[in-house]
Amino acid sequence: MNSTGRLGAVVRKEFLHIARDPRTLVLVLAIPIVQLVLFGFAVSFDVSSVRTLVIDQDGTPASRDYLAAYEGSGFFTVVGTGDELSDVDDAFHAGTADAAVIVPAGFARTLARGQKAAVSILVDGSDTNSARVAEAMATALNSLADQRIAVSWADANGIDTQAGQLTAQSRTWYNPDRISSLFLIPGLMVVIVMIVTVQQTAVTLVRERDLGTAEQLRISPLRQTELMVGKLIPWTVLGLADATLIAVLGMIGFGLPLRGDPWTLGAGAALFVCCALGLGLLISALAPSAETANILGIMVAFLPGFLLSGFAFPLEIVPPALQWLSCLFPARYMVTISRGVFLKGAGFETLWPQLVQLGAYAVVVLALATLLYARRQR
Amino acid sequence: MIASGPAAPATSVSVRGLTKSFGHVTAVRGIDLEVRAGEIFGFLGPNGSGKTTTIRMLTGALRPTSGSVEVLGTDVVRHPDRIRCRIGYMSQRFSLFEDLTVDENLRFYGGVYGLDAATFAERREYILRMAGLTDRVGELARNLSVGWRQRLALGTASIHRPELLFLDEPTSGVDPVARRRFWDLLTDLSEGGVTLFVTTHYMEEAINCTRLAFMNRGRVIADGSPREIRDSLAEPGGPAPSLEEAFVALTTRTGRR
Repeated sequence: MNSTGRLGAVVRKEFLHIARDPRTLVLVLAIPIVQLVLFGFAVSFDVSSVRTLVIDQDGTPASRDYLAAYEGSGFFTVVGTGDELSDVDDAFHAGTADAAVIVPAGFARTLARGQKAAVSILVDGSDTNSARVAEAMATALNSLADQRIAVSWADANGIDTQAGQLTAQSRTWYNPDRISSLFLIPGLMVVIVMIVTVQQTAVTLVRERDLGTAEQLRISPLRQTELMVGKLIPWTVLGLADATLIAVLGMIGFGLPLRGDPWTLGAGAALFVCCALGLGLLISALAPSAETANILGIMVAFLPGFLLSGFAFPLEIVPPALQWLSCLFPARYMVTISRGVFLKGAGFETLWPQLVQLGAYAVVVLALATLLYARRQR
Repeated sequence: MIASGPAAPATSVSVRGLTKSFGHVTAVRGIDLEVRAGEIFGFLGPNGSGKTTTIRMLTGALRPTSGSVEVLGTDVVRHPDRIRCRIGYMSQRFSLFEDLTVDENLRFYGGVYGLDAATFAERREYILRMAGLTDRVGELARNLSVGWRQRLALGTASIHRPELLFLDEPTSGVDPVARRRFWDLLTDLSEGGVTLFVTTHYMEEAINCTRLAFMNRGRVIADGSPREIRDSLAEPGGPAPSLEEAFVALTTRTGRR
């Protein structure tokens, strides 16, 4: 039978639907640009200045010398000095400092003996992002001070003074200036594709059912799979177009490097779009009405997209339960691929596990959606 | 002259013991139907009597719980896809894509039924003329009046020249003039050799049918030509009731929901 002809008829019709609905067009074209600008400029996870309290309990030239390194770093801004640990508490509570450095008495003596001296660096963890960065910068600074110092770390509230003998040397690779937009854009690409495709496909089959055209088509020679594939093709094209748009804008506007293999990125994006469309179809098959499908689509696209993809927050810092949950959504695999290719210069040889995961995900979710949709029609 | 009486018309629809249950609810309770080729078969009954469920089973859209359905000589239960190109279906919702133009709607259904360019051009021309839409090919379906949409829906449902056309309350919500015109089109189709299976609420439409079946609470309670049905309900020696009266008498006799 003339399957391609029927498929073509559906694809043409779907493109016409999209072209006729200005809201959809705006959504598809404007969202990526708005988000890119928003995340590129406005929402910054960059930490430029850490307000620091210094407590010199040693009071020797060596300790003063050590603390001067903080003032000269340009990263830490010394906002005050204190005498004891409780001053740190006060400063953190008042919000006047984000970090504190404590040089204990005996610092110079220990160094003089050629032993490892301990200093405490306390970081206010209520802003996890700057805490993480300040922690890393302090580590780097300590090594730059050219002293063999054992650093004892304390966590956010400063109670845990578990000491570790680190002489860590921290250096940021792939994004040496730590520009957060570079970190965000590859992930943003994934999130936007997810939002555009999941939500639209979630609605498309339900709408057909509401119009009565689904019933009409069911007794026509058009097969179920032809209808589904025909509906997915335009959104695959648009999803990939959006991904390309963001990548190109990111590279031109924000200097995003494309260091790795574009083919791996392309393959990942294609598989990812299939996964997202499958999710949309699944919602379409389950939702009783177009409104429900719409809301479910938004929820499924936004929440896992933003929170469980590693796009904005590293998955390692979310609770284990949510980490497990994130495995149920395709975004996390694609964020890894996207960042890997753009920033780390990775290719197929390192990213194939993610590609396989995405492929398996696509097969499972599309099969499940087809099955549920067919069952619903009984 | 040698008598070679007309060959018995072929059977278009043959249904035996057709039943459909949805959970505890039985919508269709073991009905038998026989529709001969060329007939305008009127399928009547109050709302919820099981008409739409029956049509859905006849078109192969719904699997019966039990019973057999033969349409155009094909077992629909086992091979629903074999009749798809030979039957047409028009629902009361018209099933048009409202954000597509008249032409785009026709083109889509032409593509779905796999019409080649020449056939499509010819059918498109015919449907536009038949529906009076020749000047409105570029109009969005949503902007057409109900009567026009109804005729366009009839056109899309019959774009592939089906031998048998199912129409499920095709005239509901349409003004009397448009309804009249619609039935003229149906008569034309019938004269062109298409078998029609129509459900309706309107008794003045039922009169146009060559044969009727009354359905109530999942059962066929009367079957025959309009004349036969009226005569069967006449008081001995009295005048035959109108079709409307016959319909009311039949449905109240078997009880309404």
